[in-house]
Amino acid sequence: MISTGNDIVALKAINVARTKQQNFYSKIITDTEKALYDEQFSDRLPFEQFIWLAWSVKESVFKCAQRINPELVFSPSKIKISKLAAPSEGGPSYFEGRGFNNTSVYRGVVEYGPDILHSRTIITDDFIFSVVSHADNFEKVMWGIKKIDSTDADDQSKAVRTFALAMLNTLFPGAELEIDKNNYSCPIILKNEVEIPVPISLAHHDHWVGYSFQV
Amino acid sequence: MTREETLNELKKVIAPYTVNKEMLAGINDQTDLIRDLKINSANLVDIIIDAEAKYDIEIDYDSADRMTNVGSCLDVITEKINQK
Repeated sequence: MISTGNDIVALKAINVARTKQQNFYSKIITDTEKALYDEQFSDRLPFEQFIWLAWSVKESVFKCAQRINPELVFSPSKIKISKLAAPSEGGPSYFEGRGFNNTSVYRGVVEYGPDILHSRTIITDDFIFSVVSHADNFEKVMWGIKKIDSTDADDQSKAVRTFALAMLNTLFPGAELEIDKNNYSCPIILKNEVEIPVPISLAHHDHWVGYSFQV
Repeated sequence: MTREETLNELKKVIAPYTVNKEMLAGINDQTDLIRDLKINSANLVDIIIDAEAKYDIEIDYDSADRMTNVGSCLDVITEKINQK
């Protein structure tokens, strides 16, 4: 089953001063990733945004991999961003779609054990949103980002499901779709109460929610 | 420090990151930080950093990876305190 993973970080909810502390960021990025930032991104991306970009990519990789190996434990230091390319223009003006315009997103290559994954990241003033896939071609990846009113965990969970289902219902018209969780807490899509092979990834943080899935 | 004393201190470390105060009061070894206490994963590093400061310990990568539920948090903290 081809899987994707996604994550969203609300920039208004992060602690910038703490993120810049060595004892904090060293639990998220490796020395090699710090060198990548110093050499290629220090003049264009605030350090705290690089750290949370790395976090969102790594969490996305974990979500993608956990679906295949449910016993995995999230370990940021073992997920390594080996390449990262910056966008050549501003971020996209739309927050839901299929695939990515490569000129407006950060594009990364990520190593996780023997696996190589690819990432796309959108950074705005409000959030950092990442999607990863085993393929470098995201043409079949559907994704969405939405701002919601509540920061309550149950409300976030309901909102992201409603948001993703609205897109799914356009792709599977007439089907009775639901989003549930499997025994390992991975979200799954049910059609007439039977799981369909469309792995979906959901994310929420503060006032922002996001989803990704591959069709 | 007994396990119960460590648990009581751990509750104070976790408190800023969960709104589920009722569940926090009754946490046990099996309580999952994300699933049960609804802590956002983005705050897990905060909890590790705060635990390091609270107990004056250093938590390495591999130990941090294990801190997914209350029992494993207590195991790691106790292990690191004993190593001091």
